[in-house]
Amino acid sequence: MNKKDNIEEFLRDNKPVVKDDPTFLLETKRRLKNVEGIKAEVDRQRVHGRMALIVTLIIGIVIGAMATFIGYICPFNPENIGESAFAGLILFITTWKQYFFILLAALSVSLALLLSRTRHAGM
Amino acid sequence: MTRERFIDLVRTEQEPLRRFLLGLCSGNQSMADDLAQDALVRAYVASGSFLGLSKFSTWLFRIAYNCFIDQYRKASLDTVSDESLEARSAMSDDSTDDSFRYQQLYMALDKIPEKERAAIVLHYFEDRDIKEIAAIMQIPSGTVKYLLSVGRNHLKEHLSV
Repeated sequence: MNKKDNIEEFLRDNKPVVKDDPTFLLETKRRLKNVEGIKAEVDRQRVHGRMALIVTLIIGIVIGAMATFIGYICPFNPENIGESAFAGLILFITTWKQYFFILLAALSVSLALLLSRTRHAGM
Repeated sequence: MTRERFIDLVRTEQEPLRRFLLGLCSGNQSMADDLAQDALVRAYVASGSFLGLSKFSTWLFRIAYNCFIDQYRKASLDTVSDESLEARSAMSDDSTDDSFRYQQLYMALDKIPEKERAAIVLHYFEDRDIKEIAAIMQIPSGTVKYLLSVGRNHLKEHLSV
């Protein structure tokens, strides 16, 4: 018998024996139950997050449509407002409206993300 | 896959799985059982992605092997193993003869690289063929043959066979 056969025989004759442990399966069941609970919670949070995004989108569209509509029916005329601080603010926004709306959109998206993150953190 | 179905499958696979990990962990039963639990949880979470293209046990063993590799890389198992071997030696003073029976084998397994150990354990303890070992370890069949050959030689150096 050569050395290769010896080592193979030794390994086959000395297979480790696993001690029968009834708690192993019980512990597995307990862990799987916990995993199921976490999975359900994650799914619930995902649905909440999706709903929040849809609501945010709808509110955004409605506010945008209203703003556009008001803009059309009440066109802005700086002469009607005078020289108050409010008029200055309106003028400022009108002049820098592109940047103003980009900033507003960025703030809205950040707020939505922050809210969805906070919901997950509280899981 | 429902939890009940998964537990039914685990009931039949738990012993080979625990034995495989016991060999990989060089006889450290508690570490092997912890890894087995981790592997089962990972498998359950990913059970939706099990398409049945391979045997359930092959898929489960692959996950268990990946758990072991993660643990091995994370905790530099060499140091831990030395400590655990010492602990096991100390424990076996007042234990049964079985502890001594495997001590030589476990110490030898502990000294060879983890890939060779995995190939040896799967082939000789679990009776898996080369193709299946290749699927579990995600390496080519030729590499498995090489690992078995080199692993045997390394074991011979550490065992008085």
